[in-house]
Amino acid sequence: MKKQALLVFSAVVLAMVAGCQKDETTSRDADLAGVNVAVGEKKGAFSKLFVLNEGNFQKNNSTLDFLRFSDGNYVSDAFGSMNPAVVQGLGDTGNDLALNNGKLWLVMNGSGYVHVLDAKDETLLASVAVPDPRYIAFDNSHAYVSSYAGAIYGGDEVKGKVYRIDLKTYKVDGEVEVGSQPEGVVVSDNSLYVANSGGYNYVHEKTVSVIDLSTFKVVGTLEVASNLHYMAADGQGHIWVSSYGESSWSQDSEGNWIQSMSEPMGLYRASYYSMPRVVQAVKDVHVSCMTKAGEYIYAIGNAAEMTGGYDNTLYKIGIRDMSVTATSLSKTDAAKVGNPYGICVAYETGDIYIADADYTGPGKVWCFTKDLKEKWSAVAGMLPAHMALY
Amino acid sequence: MAFLLLGTVAAAQEMADTLRASVVSSVSGSLLTPQRITSERLGTVTGVSEAIRRFTGVQVRDYGGVGGLKTVNVRSLGSEHTAVFVDGVQISHAQNMQVDLGRLNLEGLTSISLFSGQKTSPLQSAKEYSSASALYLESAGPVFSRGRRDNLKLSLGAGSFMTLTPGLSWEHLFKSGVSARISTDAVSSKGEYRFHVHDFRQYPDGTVAGYDTTMTRTNCDLTSIRAEALLFSPRSGDASWNIRAYFYGSGRGLPGPVYKKGGDYPLSLDRQTDRDAFLQGRYYRSLGDIWSVAGRAKLSFNHLEYTDFPELLPEGSPARYNYRTHSAYLSGSAMARISDVFSLNIAQDVQYDYLDADLRGFAFPGRFSSWSSLSARAGVGSVEASVTLLYLGVWDTFLTAMSRSGAYRDALMPSFVVRWDAAERLSFNGLAKRSYRMPTFNDLYYTIVGTKTLDPEDALQFGLGAEWGLVHSGSSDLDVKVDAYRNRLKNKIIAVPTSNQFRWSMYNLGVVEILGVDLSADYSIKIGRGECGAIVRYTFQQARDRSDREALTWGGQIPYIPVHSGSVNVFGDLSGWRTDITLFATGERYTTSANLPAYRLSPWTTLDAAISKNLSIHGNDLTLKLCLNNLLNEQYEIVDNYPMPGFNCHFAVLVSWR
Repeated sequence: MKKQALLVFSAVVLAMVAGCQKDETTSRDADLAGVNVAVGEKKGAFSKLFVLNEGNFQKNNSTLDFLRFSDGNYVSDAFGSMNPAVVQGLGDTGNDLALNNGKLWLVMNGSGYVHVLDAKDETLLASVAVPDPRYIAFDNSHAYVSSYAGAIYGGDEVKGKVYRIDLKTYKVDGEVEVGSQPEGVVVSDNSLYVANSGGYNYVHEKTVSVIDLSTFKVVGTLEVASNLHYMAADGQGHIWVSSYGESSWSQDSEGNWIQSMSEPMGLYRASYYSMPRVVQAVKDVHVSCMTKAGEYIYAIGNAAEMTGGYDNTLYKIGIRDMSVTATSLSKTDAAKVGNPYGICVAYETGDIYIADADYTGPGKVWCFTKDLKEKWSAVAGMLPAHMALY
Repeated sequence: MAFLLLGTVAAAQEMADTLRASVVSSVSGSLLTPQRITSERLGTVTGVSEAIRRFTGVQVRDYGGVGGLKTVNVRSLGSEHTAVFVDGVQISHAQNMQVDLGRLNLEGLTSISLFSGQKTSPLQSAKEYSSASALYLESAGPVFSRGRRDNLKLSLGAGSFMTLTPGLSWEHLFKSGVSARISTDAVSSKGEYRFHVHDFRQYPDGTVAGYDTTMTRTNCDLTSIRAEALLFSPRSGDASWNIRAYFYGSGRGLPGPVYKKGGDYPLSLDRQTDRDAFLQGRYYRSLGDIWSVAGRAKLSFNHLEYTDFPELLPEGSPARYNYRTHSAYLSGSAMARISDVFSLNIAQDVQYDYLDADLRGFAFPGRFSSWSSLSARAGVGSVEASVTLLYLGVWDTFLTAMSRSGAYRDALMPSFVVRWDAAERLSFNGLAKRSYRMPTFNDLYYTIVGTKTLDPEDALQFGLGAEWGLVHSGSSDLDVKVDAYRNRLKNKIIAVPTSNQFRWSMYNLGVVEILGVDLSADYSIKIGRGECGAIVRYTFQQARDRSDREALTWGGQIPYIPVHSGSVNVFGDLSGWRTDITLFATGERYTTSANLPAYRLSPWTTLDAAISKNLSIHGNDLTLKLCLNNLLNEQYEIVDNYPMPGFNCHFAVLVSWR
C-alpha cells in the first residue's frame, strides 16, 4: 500500500565484536573505555548511571551513555559500541528511558521505536515500532507508551493514544485513545494515569486520563491544569503531575514577542479514587524537568520565567507534607549548569545528577551532592535529557 | 618618464576597452579579476552548482539529488554573504537570502564569474558593492550567421534518476537590429537513488564492526519548467540594453534528512511548489567622452507553497503554508572619466520587498532599501586603486498586535582595492572591505522565533593576492594564482533558546575568524589544432568559532567547512571531441563547532567526466554530450544525513540550425 521511504535491501555485517568470552560475572560492557571523571563509588547501591541524549531533531544522533561507578569512567555512545551492527543505531530523538526488571527501555520519539536493552551490557533485545512515542511506564505484565499518534503541529485536533507492549513477547497487544498529545504516564494501584498536554492545540488540555489496567479502557478523567507533562506516583494513592501553565504570545508596540501567563506553571497532587476527588496545587514550583526519589519529588525550573529572567531553581518537595524547599542554583556550584534539561537523584546518598543541554554543541552531565556541591561533570552527547540509575 | 606615459596611455586604452566591454557584459573591467568559467567549458558540466564547485575558496552546500537545495558559501562567511546576479541584476530573496543554484540554468550563459571580495567594474550598480562576494551569470547575446535572421536550437537530455530534460530556443534578428531569444526548458525527474548507510567502529583490540546497508532515497521527484524571453539592443550605437522576462515553476518532493524510522512509515511526504516570475532590464549609454550612465530595473514575484503532510496518514490533516514575496528594484549609475587615470562612479539603488504568508500572527513585513555608492578609481603608473563608500539604509515595516510598526537599520561599508602590475604577466592585489548582511525576514519576523531587534551581520575581509603568468609562449600557458585572506564575521545571527527553553529565538551571537589560502594553477598547451591542459586548485580554510569562550565549541572549526579541499581538472579538445575529467576532494568536516569524533563527517572524493562531440552538418550544428558523475560511486554526504547520489550520468543531444 503505502510506499516505504526506506527500503532495506541488504544488511551486511562485516564483523562482530570480539570479547564475548568474558566470564559470566563481569559485564561485557566492562571493556568499553571512557573518560575518567574520578568518582569511584564502588560500594554504592548502583553500578551505572544511564544517560539518554535526545540528539538533534531528525539528525539521528540520539545516543546512550553511562557512568560506571566502579571506576568512575563516563562511556559515550555505549549502545553504538555494544550493538555496532544495528543499522542507524538508536535513532532519532530519545524522549524517555526507564529501567524495569533488569531491562532498559528507550523511547525514540523521532524514529517511532521503543528499544529494549539488557541493562547489564546495553545489548539490544528488541525494537518495538510505536508511532510518535513519548513516555513509558510499567506494571507487572506490560509496558505502556504514550503517543501523539498522527497529530501534527498546526493541524486539526487529533487524540493521542497509549500503546500496550507485552513484557514477554515485546509485541504491541493493545491501544487506547486518550487526550490530545499525551505526555507523562504513571502506574498506580492498577491504573494508568496519562497527562494530556494538548500541546499542538491553540487551547491546551487540562486533563489526566485514567485507564483501568484490568480492562485497558479509559474509566474517567481528572481535570488538573493546563498543558500537563511529567508524572509521578507516591504510593500513597496520589499522583503528581507538572503543568507548563497557560500562556499566550503577543507582540508589544515594538513588535517583540511577549509571553503572558494566564495560568501559572506548577506542580499538582491529585487522586482520582478518593471521595471526593482531590486536586491540590503545590505553590510556586516551576517544573522544566522532574523526578521522584524516595520521599521527595525533585524538580528544576526557572523561577524568573514569568519576567523573562533566568533563575534556575531546584525544588525539593516532600510527598507526604507537600513541603517545598527551593534553592536557587545561582548561589551554589550548580550555577555552572547552563541549561538544566534533565534531573535524576540517588535517594540513598541524595546525589543530584543534572543533564545540561547546550544547543550548539554537546551537553554535559553534572553530579552534585545534596547540598549542591560539585562532585564531577562529564561531556555527554547532543541534548542529554533523561537519566536512570542501575 | 616615457614608460609612465606609455603606461597611462595603455591604461586609458584599457579603460575605453573595458567600458565597451561592460556594455556587453557586466563582469569586465574589474580591478580584482574574478574566477571565471566561460561558455565552452560550461558545456562539460550539468549544472551551475557543478561549475561553481570548481572555484577556489568555495563550498557548495548540496542536499543531494536533482531537486535538492544547492547554495554557495564563499570564504566561510555563509551563503547569505554571497549575492547572485543574473545579467547584472541580483536575484534577491528577502525571506531567507538563499539562492538555490539548482534552479539556475546553464542554457544561454556565456560565463559564470565569482568575485571574492570587491568587484569594481565601470558603471556598476550600488548593490554590486554591497555583498562580501558576488557570483555573476551572464547570458550571451545572439549571434547570427551572415544573411540569417533566425536560429533554432533543440535539445533533449536523459539520464539517471529517470530524468528527462527537453529544451527549445529560438532567436530572431529584427530589421531594426534588435534581436530576441525565446527559450524554454523543462526537467522531469523521479529523482530516486540508492545510497549506502554505513558506520564502522574500531575497538581497542583492533576488531572492526559495523554495518553497511543500501537504502533508496524517495520523495525527491522534481518537475520544473523555465520559460524566458529576452530582447537585446542592436550591436552598434551609443546605447546598449537588454530586457528579460522570466518564469520558473516547479513542484518537488522534499525528502528531508535520513534517519531511523520504524513502523513502515515514510520519512517525508513534504512537498514544495514554486512559482517565480520576473521582468528585468538594463540600459547603458555613453554621453560623450566623460560621462556614461546605466540603469537597471526589476519587478519580481515568488510564490512558495509548502505542504507539510503529517508523518502518519491518515489520522492527521495536512498543513499548508504559502509565502508570497513581491519586490521592485530600480538603479541608476553614472561614471565620469575625469582624466585618463581617474574616474568616479556613483550609483543609487532602491528596492522594495514585501512578504505575505498565511502563518498565524504573521508580521507581513515590508522593506524599503536604499544603497548609495561613491567609488573612485585612480591609476598611477602600474598601480591602480579603487576606494568605495557604500551606504545602505533599510526601513522595515511590520504588523504588531496594535498597528504597523517600523524599524530602521543602516550600515556604512567602506572598501579599498589595489592592484599592482609588477611585470607584464605578474600582478599583485590587495583588498580591505567591510560589508554587512541585513537580517532576513525569517530572522526578524518568523512568528515567535524571530527577533525584531537584530543587528546586521558584520563581515570584515582582508586579502592579498598574486597572479603570475609563468609560461606564456605561443603554444602553452601556465598561470598561477594565489590568494591569502583573513576574515572576521561578527554579530552572526544564530538561533538559541530563550528563558523559556521551548521558545528559540534569533540572536547576534556568533563570531567566526577565518584564515584562508586559495591556490590555483592553470596549464594549457596547443597541439596541432587541438588543445589540452590541466587545472589544479586547492583551498585552505581555518574557520574558528569565537562565539563563547566557556563553551566546548570555542576555537573549533565551524560546521561544514573543510580545512582542506581542492580539485584537479584535465581536459582535451581535438577535432570536435572534448573531454573533461575532474577529481574533487574535500577533507573532514564537523557538524558542530565542538570538533569531537562523534560529529565528524568523512572526507570524500568524486571523479566526474564529460565527453562531447561537435558535428557540423550543412552549416548546422549537432552536439552530443555525455556527463558521467561520481564515476567512483563514492558514498558521501555534504550535509549530515543528506546522502549524495552515487554514480549517475546524463546524455544530451543538441541540434541548432543557424
